[in-house]
Amino acid sequence: MLSEEEQMSEALVRIFENVVLTEEKSLQAGYFKDLSIAEMHTLTAIGPYDARTMTNTAEDLGITTGTLTVAIDRLVKKGYVHRERDKRDKRIVRISLTHTGKLACRMNSKFHRVLAKHILAGYDADDRKHLLDLVNEVDQYVEQQLRRYDSSENVRATARQVAKDTTKEKKQDG
Amino acid sequence: MADSDNLRAKVKEDVIRIMSETLEISPEEISSELQFNTDLPFDSLQLYEFVIDVEETYNIRLPDELLDEVKTVDDMIDVVVKLSAQK
Repeated sequence: MLSEEEQMSEALVRIFENVVLTEEKSLQAGYFKDLSIAEMHTLTAIGPYDARTMTNTAEDLGITTGTLTVAIDRLVKKGYVHRERDKRDKRIVRISLTHTGKLACRMNSKFHRVLAKHILAGYDADDRKHLLDLVNEVDQYVEQQLRRYDSSENVRATARQVAKDTTKEKKQDG
Repeated sequence: MADSDNLRAKVKEDVIRIMSETLEISPEEISSELQFNTDLPFDSLQLYEFVIDVEETYNIRLPDELLDEVKTVDDMIDVVVKLSAQK
């Protein structure tokens, strides 16, 4: 018999993989076959309403603006994203969803809502609250772990930058 | 006619027009008491097309949580009137 840790560990990995897989299959079977999961998540990060900057969207997705630029190029070509430079500050690029982009984003949100609705439907009000509390705790714990790695990566990146700047200064001095 | 009545009449006209264009049916076939779930032949894609068109026409937001409360065409008109008046 599996230990509690093994059961938890296997369930976590399986849930993650199966949600992604189900999402992918629903995309392939649905109206937006030309979108990958990563592209759909990019649309979700932009959101159906206000225009966003490339920098903020890249931060939310945990990717560099360079990587986002490549993804946005493709999504603009496919007709899901509209891109324009800020009228006052030309360095700022703003992205927003086209009508089709909004449609894809809303349909994807619905997929997640329906999934959640069906999971919760099997429980009474007390159990639903209990389940949500437990899921939130797991979510917060995993989020905390992610932040630890993020901050250590930031510390490393800062250290690399300081080392680089110091070398530059030394060269200029010398 | 009061301003609020004018707004409601305009919203009703727009909502029914957008709905008839999305569903490709005559506006005369759409009445206020029709239910989204049972009386109107929307699939989920058409429903969001309709919702996004209404959002863009009135520059408002109709998130899913709000749409859960909308059961009839009349409910939809009420929500759009309320959100438009708040702007």
